[in-house]
Amino acid sequence: MKNIAYILIMVIGFGTTSLFSQDDLSPERKQAIDSLALEKVRDLSKYVSIIGNKETQWSEANRVIDRAEELFMQGSEIGVSSLVRTEINYYDIRNYFERLMRLNYNKVEIEWYNIEYVSDLQRQPDGTYVGVITIFQKFKGYDKEGRLVYQDTTKKDITVYVKRKETQIGGRLIGFWDVLLGDIRVKETTM
Amino acid sequence: MKYFQNFIITALVIASSFTTNAQSGSYNGFTNDETVLYTMNKQVGQFVKRFNMEEDQFGKDLSKTDKRYHSSELRENLLPGMFDKYNPRTSGTLKTYFVDDVTKTDNPVFLNFLDKNWYAEVSATFTANGDEVNIILYLTLEEENLGSKWIISNVWYSYFPRLFPTPDSTDQSRYFLHPMSHELDFMNLHKALERPERIQYYASNEYRPDFLTLFFYQTKIGQLKFKQINDVKFHFFQIPNWYFELSYFNRNDTNSGWLISNLKYINDDEKKELIKTYNLCTSKE
Amino acid sequence: MRQLFKNPTRIFMIFLVATIALGGTTACKSKKKLAAEQAAAAFEAKVTKAKKDLNAIINGTSDMTLDEQRKRVAQIKGYNINDPEIDKLISMAEKEIDFQQAEFDRKAEEERLRKEEEARRRAAQSEYAVIDNKFRDIAESKSMDAANAQIGLTLQQFASPDVPVLIIISQSGSMNDYDRPTTAEKFLNYLKDVKAYKYTVETVKRDSLGKITEIELLKK
Repeated sequence: MKNIAYILIMVIGFGTTSLFSQDDLSPERKQAIDSLALEKVRDLSKYVSIIGNKETQWSEANRVIDRAEELFMQGSEIGVSSLVRTEINYYDIRNYFERLMRLNYNKVEIEWYNIEYVSDLQRQPDGTYVGVITIFQKFKGYDKEGRLVYQDTTKKDITVYVKRKETQIGGRLIGFWDVLLGDIRVKETTM
Repeated sequence: MKYFQNFIITALVIASSFTTNAQSGSYNGFTNDETVLYTMNKQVGQFVKRFNMEEDQFGKDLSKTDKRYHSSELRENLLPGMFDKYNPRTSGTLKTYFVDDVTKTDNPVFLNFLDKNWYAEVSATFTANGDEVNIILYLTLEEENLGSKWIISNVWYSYFPRLFPTPDSTDQSRYFLHPMSHELDFMNLHKALERPERIQYYASNEYRPDFLTLFFYQTKIGQLKFKQINDVKFHFFQIPNWYFELSYFNRNDTNSGWLISNLKYINDDEKKELIKTYNLCTSKE
Repeated sequence: MRQLFKNPTRIFMIFLVATIALGGTTACKSKKKLAAEQAAAAFEAKVTKAKKDLNAIINGTSDMTLDEQRKRVAQIKGYNINDPEIDKLISMAEKEIDFQQAEFDRKAEEERLRKEEEARRRAAQSEYAVIDNKFRDIAESKSMDAANAQIGLTLQQFASPDVPVLIIISQSGSMNDYDRPTTAEKFLNYLKDVKAYKYTVETVKRDSLGKITEIELLKK
């Protein structure tokens, strides 16, 4: 999600040059957007912990599912594959969370690796910026006795949509960055 | 290669001193797992940035004024680690020539994520009349309005070439509608239409079947049904005299993620031929 | 000593006393002549002193305060010394005093405003610190129930649960970049969910009842 004005001197075979023009964002603003996007990803993982925790009251879990859903662009999906099952299983966001709530873990732990990779932001035809944040997480599910009953390590490639919007608040025009998460590709890794 | 690992190890040593600011549940210090994750080209975009030497060891953008930015010396050391080391084609001397070529100080070659002439190849399973078949979709980036999008540029399905075998020129030369057919209300046309296996002989010599249209047609009428994506890889044609393929390696060592999985030294004519596979024959080159 | 010289009347008195005392040593001269000479000398001294004081005022080297300067000029004017040079000096001194007075008033106003702003900032800061602490308490609650109780209490400070909460993600110059605006209720629940408060209150708007109607936070 980096150099938006990403100009490279190209010396290439068929005399082609870069086709696309990009709007300029100062490095400071870009960094603020990057970290805002990362924050949304972190919020999501906190919501997942709450939803997956059996101690969470049903009403609270449902409220959190609503909040988690609000992080996403409508129609987003989670595509999951594992080492033994390379076929991608698709879940819509709401289903994914509801399924998580029904899983029989007493407690869910999500550990983050200290590695996250944030792509450049590219613009799609309507001008919305799109980026991908890659994170690695270890998911651990514990039963009532506190035994670890399931764990996996996954690479998560999370789509992030960033759009500049304006809204009127108290007679003032507020310009804000609307950051929404999109499709998530979850791939189990070999470790 | 050794440099690549050193590059990453330095990153880890420095990173480990920053772990306290991470969110709860993060790993303190680093483990072997993290070495693997650091070295991994985690996104295609990261491969491109490392190829060009545009990010530091933490994956953060280098400023254009940074002396490491686009440094030929650093690229020379970094690039050999970006090939699949278990493949003889991408681990031998050919790669050394390639690295030398793209890092020449007087004429370095860089990749741009938004270049033309790089293609994605998506291998997918469809069902055709109940049978599973493998179909390859080729995609490329196209500019539109304020940005860009991936478009399906061509398709490969073994069934289509069978419908349109490479014409046998002596065979083809025997089938045509003579120039005075019009005077007979084209009464001879039935010979062409009733032998569908040769029907294309009655088209122009310039005629090339458009497989993408066939694919869309079969999907629309329900003869082909999408089942799943199996694999994704990329083909890069931007570098003069070279073609390379980029594939994802999900393995637990420092040679993982998006790596060069095939490398060919080819001239521009051969390259144009190859590109025809990826781009629709009827579309502009 | 300095105080002594600041009062021109006093200086004048000292000057007179000194003149009289000095006069007593020249008893051989005729009384009339002596008186005339003394008066002339006194006048000369008065003029010299007036010029000196006026020049000091004009050059900005006078030790007198602006008030004293003004009084001194009025006093010199009252001597009615019929001398064009003195008149010119008086006019120049008056202009200088007016200028200095304006300068002094401007500085005083600036200082007053600064102090007022400082006081306001301090008051706001302590007011904001109270809000920051309430938010932090929610984030650091030991349990979901405790957090919910805190949220209930904190929401009472807001005009309604839908009061807009604006989060500044970056500031460059006078321009703020915001996150998507949220509401008080959603924000407080957010703090409970993510168990972290990474902001500081930047501005608060209140209604006539003192309830918050808009709040702006700066992301740390």
